[in-house]
Amino acid sequence: MKKNSDDIDSVLIEKAKNGNKGAFSILVNKYYPRVYATLFSFTKSKEDSEDLSQQTFIKVWQQLDSFRGDSAFFTWVYRVAINLAKNFVASSGYKKQKINTSIEQAEIDISSFEDIESVVIHKQSLKEIKSFINTLPESLKTAFTLREVEGRSYEDISVITDTPIGTVRSRIFRARESIIDFMQKELITNE
Amino acid sequence: MNKINEKLSALYDGELNAAEVDELIDIISKEKSLQKQISIYSLIGAAVSQQSSNVIALDTKKNIKNAFSNIWFSNALTAAASVLLTLTFVNNVDFSRMDINTNSSKQISSAINSKEAKNTAEKSNEYLADHIMNIINDPNYMSSKTPLDLQNVGYKSNSDNGYIHSKGNESFQLRIEKKNFGIKQIRYWKHGNKMIYLVPLNDGRVLTLYGNISLSSALSIAESANK
Repeated sequence: MKKNSDDIDSVLIEKAKNGNKGAFSILVNKYYPRVYATLFSFTKSKEDSEDLSQQTFIKVWQQLDSFRGDSAFFTWVYRVAINLAKNFVASSGYKKQKINTSIEQAEIDISSFEDIESVVIHKQSLKEIKSFINTLPESLKTAFTLREVEGRSYEDISVITDTPIGTVRSRIFRARESIIDFMQKELITNE
Repeated sequence: MNKINEKLSALYDGELNAAEVDELIDIISKEKSLQKQISIYSLIGAAVSQQSSNVIALDTKKNIKNAFSNIWFSNALTAAASVLLTLTFVNNVDFSRMDINTNSSKQISSAINSKEAKNTAEKSNEYLADHIMNIINDPNYMSSKTPLDLQNVGYKSNSDNGYIHSKGNESFQLRIEKKNFGIKQIRYWKHGNKMIYLVPLNDGRVLTLYGNISLSSALSIAESANK
C-alpha cells in the first residue's frame, strides 16, 4: 500500500474512532472491493461474499477502538475478514452444502456459474483497460502510471515530470475519469 | 462537481491537507455516488497494477461485450467492477502490494492454487463459456426438437413451448452436443431459479439440461441417455 494512502487512513481512522461515520464510510468504500475479493476466493459465492463483507465491516466498526495502528489498516481488516471466512467454512451450513453435492452415482465437479463468467470477463477486461490506458494522452498516462503502478507521491511526480503539483493532481484525476468512462461505455453497457 | 471529484481522487491518494479532508468527508457523507467513486478508484488501482503473466489464460473467440450484454451487470458498474476485481485477485498470487502478512498470504495462495480452482480454470474453455452464455441468453438455443425419448423415465414432452419436458414439479429443456467441452465429470451451475447440468455421455457427447430439475433427476436422465 502506498505511504500516503496509509497516512490518510490514519486520519480517517482517528475521525471514525471519534464517531465520524462519514470517515468510516470512506474506509469501507476504499477497501470493500478487496475484502469482497478475498472472501470470494474462500466462498466462491457472490451472496456469501457480500454477507461476509458486510459482517467484516460491522465487526471492524465495533472493534475500531482496539486498532492501535501497529499494522496497516487493511491488514487488520483483512484478518477480520479471514477469521469470518474460516468460521463460515467451518459452519454447519457450508458443510451441509458440501454433503448435499456429494452424490455417489457420479463424480461431481462442483462449480458455480460465477466461475465461468468471471474468468472470461477478467482477462478480456483487464486487457482492454490496459490497452485503453496506453491510448491516453502521454501526460495523463505518465502521471497515472507513476501514481498507480509505481506508487509515487504527487510531489515526486511533480519533480519527475517538471509539472506543478496541482497539474499532477488534475492529470491523475482526468486519467481515472477517462478509464471509468471507458469501462462504462465499452465494458459494461449494452451496445 | 468535477472539482469535488478531483479532490476525491486526491483524497484516495492521500494527498489532501487536513482542512480539505474534513470538508470532503462532510460532502461524501451526504452523497452516495461519491462513496462509490472511491470503490471504483480502488478497483482501477488494483486492476492496473496486476501483472498479466499471473492471469489465468483463457481464450475467447466471441466479443465479450455481446456475450454478456443481457446479463446481470448491464448497468451496474460497481457490480461488474467487483467481479473484475475479484478475478484480478483470485487469479493473482502476488499480495505483496497489499501489505498482507506472510501467513495470510499463504492461506489465500493455497486457496487460489488449490487443485479444484486450477481444474475449474483449466477446464473452462471458450466453447464451454459460449455454450453457457447461449443457454442463458438465447431463448431458442435450448428449444430444438429433443433427440431423446424420456417417456421411459416418466417425463412428458410438450413441443408447443420450445420442447419442454416435465414431470411433477420439474420442467426443463435439453440438448445434446457432439463435443464434450473437455469435461469428464458432471458439472452444474445455478442461474436464477434454474439449474444448468452438463452431463458427459459414454459416447463422448454431452447432454445439457436447463430448468427446474434436481441433480438426481439429471443423473437418471443421463443414465437413460447412455443406454
